[in-house]
Amino acid sequence: CDKILDVTPKGTYTTATYWRNQSDAVNGVTGIYNVLLEEDFTGHAEFTFDDPSDDQYRAGDHSEDVAIENLTYDAANAQVRFGWRWKYEMINRANSALMYIPKIQGMDETIKNRCLGEARFLRAFAYWRLLLIYGEAPVVTEEDVAASNYVKPKVSADSLRGIIQSDLLAAADLLPAKYEGSDRGRASKGSAWGLLCKLYMYWDKLDQALIYGEKVLNSGNYNLAATYVANFTPETSNNDEMLFAVQTSDTWGYSDFTTYYTPREWNGWNFHQPLQSLVDEFEAGDVRKAVSIMSPGDKINIGSSIATYSADMSETGYHFHKFSYWKPNGGLNYSLKTPLLRTADIALLVAEAKIRTQGVGAGDNEINMVRKRTGLKDVSGAGMAAVIHERRCELSGENERHQDLMRWDKAGLIDITTYYNKPKYGKGGNVLVPARTFIRPKHYYFPLPQSEIDRSNGVLIQNENYK
Amino acid sequence: YILVFFYTFSLSLFAKSTEGQDIKEVKINLVASKMKLETVLERIQQITPFRFVYNSSQIKATGPVSINASNTSVEKVLQQLLEPNELNFEQNKTQIIITRKFEASRFDLTLAGAIPAAVADTSITVRGKVKDDKGQPLIGVTVSVKGKNRGIATDANGNFVLRADHTDSLVFKTIGFASVTVSATGNLDNIVLLPATTSLTDVVVVGYGVQTRRDLTGAISTVKGADIKNLPVSDAAQAIQGRVAGVDIVRSDGSPGTTPSIRIRGTGTINNAEPLIIIDGVPAPNLSGLSDINNNDIASMEVLKDASSSAIYGTRAANGVIIITTKKGSYNEKLNTNVNIYRGVSNVARYIPLLTAPDLVKLKQERYTNDGLSIPAFWQDPYYAVQRTDWQKALFNTGHVTNADVSIKGGSTSSNYLFSMGYYDEKGLVTNTYFKRYTVRINSEHRINSRLKVGENLQLTARKGNTLDTYSSQTGLIFSALRFNPAIPVKDDMGNYGSAQANNELGDINNPVYTAETTDAWTKNYRILANAFAEIEIIRDLKLRLNYAFDGTMSNAFSFLPKTLTQVRTRDDAELTQSNTSTGTHLGEAFLSYNKTIAKDHQLSLTGGISYQKYSGSYYSAQRNGFDDESPYVLVLDNGSIVYNAAGNYYATNILASGFARGFYSYKGKYLLTATMRADGSSRFAEGNRWGYFPAVSVGWRISDENFFKDNVHFMNNLKVTGGWGVLGNQNVTEFQYLATIIKNRKYNFGDQPFTGIWNSSLANPNITWEKAHMTNVSAELGFLNNALNATISYFDKNTIDMLVPAAKPDLHGTSVVPDENIGKLNNHGWEFEVSYQGGKKAFTYNIAANATVIKNKVTQLYAANTYISSSNYGRQNQEISRTYEGQPIASFYGWKTAGIYQNQAQIDGDPYIAKDGRKDNIKPGDVRFVDVNGDGAITEADRVYLGDPNPRLQYGLQAGASYKGFDLSLSFTGVAGVKLYNADKMQGLDPTYSYNYYAEELQRWHGEGTSNSVPRMTLSDNNGNYRTSDRFIESGNYFTLRNAALGYTIPSRLWGSKSSTNIRVYLAGQNIFVVTNYSGLNPALGYTDGNKQRGVDVATYPQARSFTAGASMNF
Repeated sequence: CDKILDVTPKGTYTTATYWRNQSDAVNGVTGIYNVLLEEDFTGHAEFTFDDPSDDQYRAGDHSEDVAIENLTYDAANAQVRFGWRWKYEMINRANSALMYIPKIQGMDETIKNRCLGEARFLRAFAYWRLLLIYGEAPVVTEEDVAASNYVKPKVSADSLRGIIQSDLLAAADLLPAKYEGSDRGRASKGSAWGLLCKLYMYWDKLDQALIYGEKVLNSGNYNLAATYVANFTPETSNNDEMLFAVQTSDTWGYSDFTTYYTPREWNGWNFHQPLQSLVDEFEAGDVRKAVSIMSPGDKINIGSSIATYSADMSETGYHFHKFSYWKPNGGLNYSLKTPLLRTADIALLVAEAKIRTQGVGAGDNEINMVRKRTGLKDVSGAGMAAVIHERRCELSGENERHQDLMRWDKAGLIDITTYYNKPKYGKGGNVLVPARTFIRPKHYYFPLPQSEIDRSNGVLIQNENYK
Repeated sequence: YILVFFYTFSLSLFAKSTEGQDIKEVKINLVASKMKLETVLERIQQITPFRFVYNSSQIKATGPVSINASNTSVEKVLQQLLEPNELNFEQNKTQIIITRKFEASRFDLTLAGAIPAAVADTSITVRGKVKDDKGQPLIGVTVSVKGKNRGIATDANGNFVLRADHTDSLVFKTIGFASVTVSATGNLDNIVLLPATTSLTDVVVVGYGVQTRRDLTGAISTVKGADIKNLPVSDAAQAIQGRVAGVDIVRSDGSPGTTPSIRIRGTGTINNAEPLIIIDGVPAPNLSGLSDINNNDIASMEVLKDASSSAIYGTRAANGVIIITTKKGSYNEKLNTNVNIYRGVSNVARYIPLLTAPDLVKLKQERYTNDGLSIPAFWQDPYYAVQRTDWQKALFNTGHVTNADVSIKGGSTSSNYLFSMGYYDEKGLVTNTYFKRYTVRINSEHRINSRLKVGENLQLTARKGNTLDTYSSQTGLIFSALRFNPAIPVKDDMGNYGSAQANNELGDINNPVYTAETTDAWTKNYRILANAFAEIEIIRDLKLRLNYAFDGTMSNAFSFLPKTLTQVRTRDDAELTQSNTSTGTHLGEAFLSYNKTIAKDHQLSLTGGISYQKYSGSYYSAQRNGFDDESPYVLVLDNGSIVYNAAGNYYATNILASGFARGFYSYKGKYLLTATMRADGSSRFAEGNRWGYFPAVSVGWRISDENFFKDNVHFMNNLKVTGGWGVLGNQNVTEFQYLATIIKNRKYNFGDQPFTGIWNSSLANPNITWEKAHMTNVSAELGFLNNALNATISYFDKNTIDMLVPAAKPDLHGTSVVPDENIGKLNNHGWEFEVSYQGGKKAFTYNIAANATVIKNKVTQLYAANTYISSSNYGRQNQEISRTYEGQPIASFYGWKTAGIYQNQAQIDGDPYIAKDGRKDNIKPGDVRFVDVNGDGAITEADRVYLGDPNPRLQYGLQAGASYKGFDLSLSFTGVAGVKLYNADKMQGLDPTYSYNYYAEELQRWHGEGTSNSVPRMTLSDNNGNYRTSDRFIESGNYFTLRNAALGYTIPSRLWGSKSSTNIRVYLAGQNIFVVTNYSGLNPALGYTDGNKQRGVDVATYPQARSFTAGASMNF
């Protein structure tokens, strides 16, 4: 009698009927990358965690960002919750790939290794973001997926670092050095090395950071783009320097990222405006300033015309320029890749590691590698101040500043409270954000989302500082 | 000659019929021995052109009859059959009306005894006409002289003539209407019979058959088509609101054509809790089918509320069943044409007071000053201090509703038919929202021979509708209208739409009038619901019925979004999406029914059969972008320059295979027993978990038929108590949850080439199976004053077990859907009261009906103690509002309690609630004082508590009707009490951290000690969380409304000539005429915003319109 009730799902795969061959594996891995386009992940939300920094004013009209910027956020803050599940979605998609791809018969070994390497890299990337934001978070393993075990306690920051490290080391072994043509944009060996370098910097393992950073710099596959602007031009943003970038596209694979940074008048939503203090950081003659920042009087090609930027388009008097590009019809060009990791970043981390382990001047080479295309003179005998200055100018708006400041504060190199205890001023000396109090160690991390604490029924424990 | 020969064990019939239509002339052969009278009459009906009209309880009450007639006139045959049983008969064209000789109650008999015999010379000729409450002539009404063996029936125009004494009273009776007694006078031109709200002889449609109300042991309520005729609403659910106890019609949205939710006896599950809809025997796949039917085609709606009545539908019955029966023709019915036309206007009933531009600027400035920040140049710009637009008035227009339908019905000896066509057109309050419907119905039935009957019901519907988004807190139109800056014009002097592009302070919303006027989006739905059946009498009393039905839908959707570069939410390329969906349901059924009365006292009725239903469907859609020319006549996919998207797939196929049986037994009509069993197998579950068995049993006792009652209780005519218990199922859950499905969809680019991605869209639960509901029902049915006053009282208790709830998991599984698990339990119990009275004399008659339902809902088991089911978060701040906790009603509100506003720093310093709160330094006078429920000296998440129940504790309805000399009036009131609403829109509308306009109530904000204890201070950084979910936004949702009212006048038919059967009624009607409520939002009747997990949360959805219509209903 049961036979007449048998229905095969038509048009829908199940885990039992999928993962048969190479193309299934490749599609499965593409699915992991997809998460990067999400507005609540790298499509926007991740970048709001830089709002406390002294580089930018949150602007926009999201009041949850006010608390992030003011350092008054609590566990119920919407921004703390938005991105959480997307990071775990990425981890789960990667877990699926890692569970099923090894069982696929008859796959090209190179492709199989690449797929497994990409899955491990992307899983590491998701944990990396969890680590930076929350410090401690639960880990979901392949075994958990098999057992549908999704109520888990958090693990320590060191355990998270260990997991990221092992995934990245494995990924570095599995991934190819370089991609061409229609594979550009996939994670490469260089992506894994670069993220390893960064992980060790944040882990205070400077020697290790140096090793993997230098692998990136010395491989020849990840050289800096000839010009700074090449990184922020749709046609050239997929270059060797982009160790890892969101492959946004105007037709397939759209992300809101660009919209958030662009002035309202020019079809954007006006978030994250650069502050005067950041603008002042650029040395005279630094070509990065005009590429990165729209300043009053700048002539901007907004696709349909050449328009003049004016201070009244912004609260601070400025907008970021590096993420905005227009099509001839006046619409935003979404083919500009969102940078997540660049060789220039790694070069400056290597410089920092050298200076901190070998003393001033040890990082001159790497700093000058970055300065070469800026129209500025080389530095010599550079110390931490030069690295701090260079990172601020090179990586403005790229979600590094707040994390850099906290890393340096933890290492005793700076006193972060002095950066944050003054108001953020807008144009005409307007107070946009009052002076803030950075509390150590509380503000090093954000609280775990309250909804997750609630639903775990006592298994997931809140960060000590937010209890 | 028509020759029909029929022979069974004890009965043989032979009819010889002439062309004549006189019972004296038509001769038949008829042999019967100890047969039920009803059966014999049915035989005569089959072999002659005549049709009997009688009260079946009277006929049933007679003993078995025997006859042996050969070539005898029908008149003679009837004399032999009826006179010994004290029954009269009278021919009226093809009808033969059978009445009891002494049609009188106990009271009448007493009176009759006191009145001396009538004197012959005072007799007069009484002429008259009988109509229903809508002015339609009533055919075949028995008009009898009280206390005398004399009577006649009304003709096809409702007319009658009879001799009576001027001291006599005339009694008018017909099935389904309340009888009326009037004194005999010469002219009784305006006798109006009102539909009986509870008539014991009414035939009630039950699953796979019919039963008289007298014999029911289950809880079934009936709404007659006449009660909802010409109501200006698009579906039957809206029409029955407030008319049936235990039925809650929940309109989440007042946009045209949106079908409401229906909750029968409470919300029975966290999952889909909609009842099963059966249209002429065919189970519809979902509720939206309700708006495919022209209400004027409905003959009756039966609501099956308890386990006993609905268990025959097994796995789909846990949420109740609504059986819709459409109108049909009758055999030997003269052709009758009915035309209904109405048209009306509608408008929005209330607006929310908002700040004007100058006040808004003042408060925005105050916001910065309070925070010690500089006032931005923007809020010093005098342009924004000038009031230009009331956005609510700009968005809401006058709506229109138009209906025109015509139906033709009639029948011959062997066939009957009904054909109808209808047109319904509703234009909503918001520009470009509308609903248009064209319907065609063909119902017919044919007697092939005395043993075989075939028929069909065919329903064709085409509808087109456009609803715009009114739910989103990003783009919702009403949300936008309540927030768009009032200094911005709808259009500027150049004719360009006003925009919020100028500054972040205006928020990221588009001009709602722009959106409404420029969005060209519609869906066209086509549906064919065809049902063919054959009924064969295998042997005497045993019938086999075969049904085959096909229910097919096709829908076409079109959505054009223009290129938008002048609004905040831009679209740099115009987008056109066209999509197509088709679904089909095949139903095959075969069932036997056996009806037999044994030894006079034992009535037995058995039904049993099998059913197979399969649902399948598919969809596809395509999108192109880039239209250089946006003129409406060139908007086709061909003209788009970029192929953007193309998608399509199958819907999950469902199969349901079933066997069912029901037995009914009655002893002397006093002791009643119904037992039902259904076995259902569903493809939604994995092998081993597919079959469910649903038994039910109920008993009834007609106490009023007992001698001790008859002898001792004189004030009551009817008393019946019934009780029943049964198990029902709910399979309305997502398919394939026993498998982990994979989505293959969005593309990601490598090297700017698109690559397809796949991912798990759901996790698997191989053990998933049915939800079940155990339901107990106890009812008492009471009749007083010769059944003019009727009441029903019911108690029910419904326990849902194995309720499918999403596994309580944090988001560590990512975004894939967590499969449900059968672990929940839920209880609904309550009381229902229905009372009706029909009264009036002569020309003035009236009726009143009232009903009330008291329901208590509680989730009795979830995952573990203190666990809950969460619901979707609301608004820009993604706030949690509703949680379903074990031990609480479903979808209860959850948040913080408050205790006013801190007036000064000393209060903050000394407040034990925040003595240890780390945020204390950030709390300022003018902030909300939250209650530290757990007493730990800090306001934390642990202080959140239950804040209220959105499910109405009491719902009630009141209907009144009256008619006088051609005028008729009907009123229907509905109301709810004991309900809480969460005004989420106000929570955003007052929150000063938002960059929008605010509610006018913001003027009452705290701005110095003693200035306010309810609205906190203006601030940009809400460090205290003043606008977190709290009891500040809980409001009472009690309301009382005049849902509809109609005043009609029937034009005296003599104006159309004495022979004419023309009958015209004209009327004025209103819908949602007034609402009495303390609720401050647009509309107190709020519905669901996240399945059953969230209810009563005001997200500024489409308000219900108040409408006024004028119409005419014509019969020819």
